Amino acid sequence: MNPVADLIRLEAVSMKYRLAKQRQPSLKQYALHWLRGALVYEDLWALSNVSLRIGRGESVGIIGRNGAGKSTLLKVISRVIAPTRGRVDVGGRVVPVLGLGAGLDMELSGLENIYLNAMVLGRSRREIKAACDEIVTASGLGDFIMSPLRNYSAGMVARLAFSVATAWTPEILILDEVLTVGDASFVERCHQHLQRFRESGTTVLVVSHLPAEIRESCQRCIWIDAGTIRQDGATDDVLESYARFNEARRASILVRA
Amino acid sequence: MIGPALRELVSYRDLIHELVVRALKVRYRRSAIGFLWTMLHPLIMMLALTAVFSQIFRFQVEHYAVYALAGISFWQFFSQTVTSCLHSLRGNAGLLTKLPVPKAVFPIATVLSGLLNLVFALVPLLAIAVATGPPLSGALAFLPVSILIAGVFTLGAGLLLAPLAVIFSDTVEVVSILLTLLMYVTPVFYPRAIVPEHFRWIVRLNPLAAVLEVFRAPLVDRALPATTDLAIATASAVILLALGSWVFTITSRRLVLYL
Repeated sequence: MNPVADLIRLEAVSMKYRLAKQRQPSLKQYALHWLRGALVYEDLWALSNVSLRIGRGESVGIIGRNGAGKSTLLKVISRVIAPTRGRVDVGGRVVPVLGLGAGLDMELSGLENIYLNAMVLGRSRREIKAACDEIVTASGLGDFIMSPLRNYSAGMVARLAFSVATAWTPEILILDEVLTVGDASFVERCHQHLQRFRESGTTVLVVSHLPAEIRESCQRCIWIDAGTIRQDGATDDVLESYARFNEARRASILVRA
Repeated sequence: MIGPALRELVSYRDLIHELVVRALKVRYRRSAIGFLWTMLHPLIMMLALTAVFSQIFRFQVEHYAVYALAGISFWQFFSQTVTSCLHSLRGNAGLLTKLPVPKAVFPIATVLSGLLNLVFALVPLLAIAVATGPPLSGALAFLPVSILIAGVFTLGAGLLLAPLAVIFSDTVEVVSILLTLLMYVTPVFYPRAIVPEHFRWIVRLNPLAAVLEVFRAPLVDRALPATTDLAIATASAVILLALGSWVFTITSRRLVLYL
């Protein structure tokens, strides 16, 4: 289907969470249960047998209800967790912008956070030094860059984190409910950035439960439900079936009530 | 399995450096006399112990002040570093559940900043050693090796225990009890010689005691550490690091699920 090489390839990926029937968050309880031979687990398959291929430069929306497995899928792609079964091939550096602000320290200044956050993303001190002025300008924080993050508004934190995440053109960018924070001009600027990245071949994954956001930026959409891919195809088609599905569900809940 | 993991860690060396600097800043920048505060605690402990041992128990130990201060500084390094390692993964849960950062970065940075604190603690230690005893000897040149062995040993313990603290929430309590017990079977503030002969095997079996003696010999005895101590300390440090790295590597694949 894709003339270009696949950048992300998942083959029969399954992810099992092992939930203990008895909560055993402590060594003491674990030892007691183990002695009694009463360790019982309940398996929860957050992903089951998911296969997908995403090519270089594609923009793909991922939609689904809460708990459908969207976050697990993203964590597998960004290699935060290893799947229980299946193969994961990801051919590039993944820059996840999840909820904005992972790896920021509220006690440190904006400038110190630029270094810390970029290093967490795997950048070296030299790379950051070279790009620092640009990041500060892009964030539009001005003199605030020297004051600690706890004095920032949520929008300012989002601007800083987004400027760091987008300072280097990533191979894969994951946006998890990102564009829901920030004011209109920030969102506008985000879209400009995304456009530029797409033109230079970045693969963008947009996760949202808001169809409008995905419609605006992706041609392809994947609908995840109960750990499996329910539909994968053109955004308009997938969003339409998703909307129909939600309506039917709402109706059935109303009937039962 | 270890090779690529090591290479990945090397590529994150700037992050490790940054985490160490941040830990030291938090410790010393908070108050203008932050450095003095951290030195004050072991010094007061030393004064109290010296008073108790030499005045009340009438126990005559040569250079007891330096002996006690070296023990306290070492023990503070070990126990504080191990405890911080226990918190290092959980404390960075927000980051580890979202970004593919190699998890070992956090315990490694914790041990490195602990080692730097131990080096800072040498300032009052050397001052008191010079003030109270015979001149320091060339054996002092061995001290960096002693500190390296202590660092390897502590990193091994930290890597071994940090995943456990993620999986079981009461690990911190269990380890703090074990640390207290360990402190009493390690000659931190009592001289090895006062242990009755038939109990001495306990101290001898404790590898941390050897690591401590290797650290203390150049400072207190102004001599190179005994060969048996050095052999036990080095071997146990290497074994503990290997064991810790192994446990950390096999658990780190699944650790995020518990955060």
